[in-house]
Amino acid sequence: MRTAAILLVLVATAVASLSLGLRNAGPAALWHALAAPEPATALDITLREIRLPRLLAGLLAGAALGMAGTVMQALTRNPLADPGLLGIGAGAALAIVLGALATGRADGGAMAMMAFPGAAAGAAAVFALGGGFRGEMGPVRLTLAGAALNAFLLSLVTAIALLRGDALDIWRNWVSGSLAAAATRPLAAMAPIAAAGAVLALVIAPMLETLALGQALSRGLGARLLQTQGLALLAVTLMTGAAVAVAGPLAFLGLVTPLLARRVMGQSLRGQLVGAALLGATILVAADLAGRLVVPPAEIRAGVMVALIGAPVFLWIARRLAPGAGT
Amino acid sequence: MPSLHRRTLHRRTLHRRTLLAGIGAALAAPALPARAAEIRIAHAMGETVLPAPAARVVSLGFTTHDTVLALGVQPLAVRYWYGEAPGAIWPWAQPLIEGPAPEVLTGEVSAERVAALAPDLIVGIGSGISRAEYDLLSQIAPVLMQPEGQPAYGLPWAGATRLIGHALGREDRAEALIGETHAAIAEMRARHPGWIGRSAAAAYHFGGDTGAFTARDNRTRLLTDLGFVLPPQIEALAAPEGFYAPLSPEDLSPLDADLLLWIAGQENLADIAALPMRRVLAAHREGREALAAGDLAAALSFASVLSIPYALERLEPELAAALDGDPATLPPAAEAAGLTA
Repeated sequence: MRTAAILLVLVATAVASLSLGLRNAGPAALWHALAAPEPATALDITLREIRLPRLLAGLLAGAALGMAGTVMQALTRNPLADPGLLGIGAGAALAIVLGALATGRADGGAMAMMAFPGAAAGAAAVFALGGGFRGEMGPVRLTLAGAALNAFLLSLVTAIALLRGDALDIWRNWVSGSLAAAATRPLAAMAPIAAAGAVLALVIAPMLETLALGQALSRGLGARLLQTQGLALLAVTLMTGAAVAVAGPLAFLGLVTPLLARRVMGQSLRGQLVGAALLGATILVAADLAGRLVVPPAEIRAGVMVALIGAPVFLWIARRLAPGAGT
Repeated sequence: MPSLHRRTLHRRTLHRRTLLAGIGAALAAPALPARAAEIRIAHAMGETVLPAPAARVVSLGFTTHDTVLALGVQPLAVRYWYGEAPGAIWPWAQPLIEGPAPEVLTGEVSAERVAALAPDLIVGIGSGISRAEYDLLSQIAPVLMQPEGQPAYGLPWAGATRLIGHALGREDRAEALIGETHAAIAEMRARHPGWIGRSAAAAYHFGGDTGAFTARDNRTRLLTDLGFVLPPQIEALAAPEGFYAPLSPEDLSPLDADLLLWIAGQENLADIAALPMRRVLAAHREGREALAAGDLAAALSFASVLSIPYALERLEPELAAALDGDPATLPPAAEAAGLTA
């Protein structure tokens, strides 16, 4: 019932994001553009080649980040954990800045191709530093390793950006995520990667719930601790890496969506994952839509709008919590 | 004895000092009128007061080193803007470098590095420095800024040349350079009477955002100096930063002028070619879309007395192909970048 309600909100948001903009499109125009487009009309081009890719990128990145955040928070048992903690955003940013300097390209497609390998390398480094390969990984260790590597990589990016004016421009355009260039981003390549991560997350959800009982107890219950942790990180990396490649880093979405999903969907982690996917997609698509409606013809980046919308939601949740309560 | 000896020595030294002072005064005499005519230039952040024309110059503006070099002064340090030009000196300015290359200042302005060069003038026009940075740098040497009421970036090139020429005591040279540049523009304009009165839009695409350069930008000014007019749709756009106006990716129609000139770094060409709404522009369909990339884009963006002649020579065939009335002849650079497909 709740899932259906959220799904309905998502569909309404998606239709609005296709219909509204500089030129508004009614249902007939929408149908016409999607079913029988005429190649040279401004509205059909807008709908098919600008708004539709933006919507698809928003659905992909929003759902992926919502689910990745939920896995992260379950894995670290920390309600403030965010996929960014895994060094994914920082790894992607460094790969993009270095890649753009090395190849002399800064177009959306080229940047996005560098993002996923950088994100994966960042996550692998956090895993290694957190003791993952020695079988000594724990939530605190992982969080600390992630925070440290994140700070280190981002200061590297900042140092390069401050020394090289062109790197600064590339990074500045990258660092606040946006769906505006969605048409040039590798949506088709990233969709299966994100889907693989999502399936993996749903499969290991019950194991993660056992893990949440505490390591000693879960070991007693026979949970395969390391294997579960490793698979969870893999799922987070696949989903966050794909999201970063299509939309750039989106601060806050991976943090606030799981909190919201937990309130709406209750305790089952699988339920939370489904809820977080729908809510994350809704928030991101709505943020992108709002960003292009507030100050036309200029646009505010979706990454900025997510934080503008997300922060009040976050505060609202915080105010409703009883002091000392868990989320 | 020792004291007497010392006194003798002292007297002798005194004597020598008097003598030297006398020579010094004699030598300084012709310079005295210049000293009296100290240089005062009022600007947006105060006043630049130079006791004499500046000779040790640190150029903090992202493009002002062109002007300093053109006026015959080797800057001690230049500011890195973007690109791969060695020493931040682009091809049009390279032949004017004599002796060791100027130091290159990258990123934030380091007052310490500027101070170490012991300049007698810091050119801050087009540098975007803040009031706090201005105050700090002013303790090192007088800082020259843009005139009151002018934006930090996009001061008209002739005005910037005149101001820097004044500070360097080379007003005549500055006027000559401005005159030569105007003449080069006028010659090109005279070769193409058909361009006069036609509309032209200078466009950028950068980091996913597309937009137009406004009338307060030197790139647009060069097009209007060549006889083109700015389309009223661009005049009407809101330009929060003054020199450029962002457009929605859903509507690029303000760019649909008789001439659409993309000014873009090489790294953004693939994104421009992929812009969906370009396809509905008449300028695109009719082969009136030209491209300035690489060194030509930089030369237009530097808009100095050195870079404008360099740019004109390379721009002319591109504009001619765009405006020849034949959709089949495409501007070579745009065609090479796949913009005309």
